[in-house]
Amino acid sequence: HMVEDTSNLLQHVKFQSSNFENILTWDSGLESAPDTVYSVEYKRYGEREWLAKEGCQRVTRKSCNLTMETGNLTELYYARVTATSAGGRSATKMTDRFSSLQHTTIKPPDVTCIPKVRSIQMIVHPTSTPIRAGDGHQLTLEDIFPDLFYRLELQVNHTYQMHLGGKQRDYEFIGLSPDTEYLGTIMIFVPTWSKESAPYVCRVKTLPDRTWT
Amino acid sequence: VAILPAPQNLSVQSTNMKHLLMWSPVIVPGEIIYYFVEYQGEYESLYMSHIWIPSSWCSPTEGPECDITDDVTATVPYNLRVRATVGAQTSAWSTLQHPFNRNSTVLTPPVMEVTKDGFHLVIKLEDLGPQFEFLVAYWRREPGAKEHVKVVKSRGIPVHLGTMEPGAAYCVKVRTFVKAIGRHSPFSQAECVKVQGETLPLTL
Amino acid sequence: QEFQFGPCRVEGVVLQELWEAFSAMKDIQAKDNITSVRLLRKEVLQNVSDAESCYLIRALLKFYLTTVFKNYLDKAADSRIRKSFSTLANNFFVIVSKLQPSQENEMFSISESARRRFLLFQRAFKQLDIQAAQTKAFGEVDILLTWMEKFYQF
Repeated sequence: HMVEDTSNLLQHVKFQSSNFENILTWDSGLESAPDTVYSVEYKRYGEREWLAKEGCQRVTRKSCNLTMETGNLTELYYARVTATSAGGRSATKMTDRFSSLQHTTIKPPDVTCIPKVRSIQMIVHPTSTPIRAGDGHQLTLEDIFPDLFYRLELQVNHTYQMHLGGKQRDYEFIGLSPDTEYLGTIMIFVPTWSKESAPYVCRVKTLPDRTWT
Repeated sequence: VAILPAPQNLSVQSTNMKHLLMWSPVIVPGEIIYYFVEYQGEYESLYMSHIWIPSSWCSPTEGPECDITDDVTATVPYNLRVRATVGAQTSAWSTLQHPFNRNSTVLTPPVMEVTKDGFHLVIKLEDLGPQFEFLVAYWRREPGAKEHVKVVKSRGIPVHLGTMEPGAAYCVKVRTFVKAIGRHSPFSQAECVKVQGETLPLTL
Repeated sequence: QEFQFGPCRVEGVVLQELWEAFSAMKDIQAKDNITSVRLLRKEVLQNVSDAESCYLIRALLKFYLTTVFKNYLDKAADSRIRKSFSTLANNFFVIVSKLQPSQENEMFSISESARRRFLLFQRAFKQLDIQAAQTKAFGEVDILLTWMEKFYQF
C-alpha cells in the first residue's frame, strides 16, 4: 500500500549517471525540516519486489550510490525514496525508468600529451567502469561500447585544425613547427547512443630544434 | 460568395537533402493568403489514411513554398497537401500528384577550398548538415602517384589533410555520401596546390 | 551503416534518428505505471542467434506497426509527438519491407524458435488491458532499439 504522497517533503528523485557510476539523488521539499530522514528502495523493471538499499535507510543526506545494484546492462531499474518527517508525515517518490546504457554520460578521457620537435604524441588511457563481466573483471568503456572511438583535434595557429581519430590509443600529429604552442582536444564518441564526452584539453609546446646549433 | 480556389501546380524540388514543396500562389486582390501544409508517410497512408500531420514550418505560411526537410524523416514515399485560407474562408486541399521520396534528391559535387600552410595541405568543406559525410581523395601530381582517401565528417572548418613534400604539387577532389539514402554525389573538379622550397623532405 | 539481422540486410535507416524520435516521446514511458511487468523480457530477446534474428525482428516490428502504433497516433494530439511518431513508424516500415527471411524447410526450426519468443511477448501483451498494453509496449521501444543495435553495422 503506497504511503500518501506529499510532495512538499520530497522532490526531483532521479538517477545521475556518469561512466556507469549511478547515483540516486533527490531534494527535500519546501517544508522539509532538517531532521527529515530518507530511505531508499530499488528494483528491476518487470519484477514485483522492492529491495531496501543497505546503507541508505533513514539517512539525512540526499544521495545514495546504487552503482552495484544497477550494474546489469541488460536490465532497466526503478528506485524510490521515502521521506519521513520527525512528526511522522511521509512521502514516497519514484524515479523514471532507468537504463545506464541510455542515460550514463561519458567523462573526458585520460590522455598523456608528449611534445617532440616536429610532432606531438597523444596516448589515450583506457577508461575503466564499475561494470564487471561474468568472470568478474572490470569492463572498460571500449568493452561496453563496440562502436566507441576517439577524436583528436589539434588547433594550428587559429586558422585550421588537424584531425586524427579511431579506436586505437596511440596517435601522433606530425609535420609541426618546432618551439611552437599547440592546443589539443581529445573526445570520446559513441555514435549509436549519441554520446560525446566533454573534451580533455592539453596545451603543449613542441621542443626547440637543436640539430643545427 | 466566391469559393477560395485551391493551390495548383504542386511540385517538390530537392537538392542535397533539402526538400522544398512549391505551388502556384492563390491571388485574391487586397488580401493576404495563408497556406497550410500537411504530410503523411507511407505508414500513415497505408494504416491510418485519415491521419495527416501538420508541417513543422508551414502551418501556416505566407509564401507559395514550404521547406519540408524536417518533416521527411524516413526513406519512404510521402503524400503532401496544401490548402489556402483568407479570413474565415478555406480552400479545398490540393495533393501532390506523385508521392515524394527523399532518395530522389539531387546530390551535387560539394564546394571545397584547398589551401596550404607551410607543408600542410588544408581543406575546407561546405556545411551540408549532419546527414553528409565527405570522401576526400588527394594525391601527389606525378605519374603513378598513390591516391590517399580520407572520410571527413567535420563541416565548415578547415581541416588538415596531409603533410606535403617541398617542391611537389598536390591535387584534391571530394564527393559526398548520404547514409540515409545510401547514395554518393559525383566528384568535384580536382584542385591542385604547389609547395615552394627545397628543404628536408617530410614524409606524407 | 546498415542492419544485418543474420542474412537480412537493411540499408537507409539511421539508428540515431530512431533514438532521437523515441527520446522526443519519452513522456509516454512515464505513463506506464505497471512497473512489475516487462513485455520484452530476457526470454524474448536474450541469446537470439543471427539466423533467428531476422524472423524475430520482423514479427515484432509488424506487431508494433499493426497493433501498437496503429491506435496510438490517434491519441498523440501534440504535433511534436505526431512528428516523432511518424519518424519511428515509417522507419520501422522501411525495415519490415526490406526483411526477406528465408522460407526454406531447413530453416523451420529456427523460425519456430523465433515464433515461440514472439508468442511470449504477445501473450504478455494480451494479458493486460489493451490501453495499458499499448502504452507499455510503446514505452519499451527503447528496449527494442537497444536489442536492434547489436545488429547495426557501423
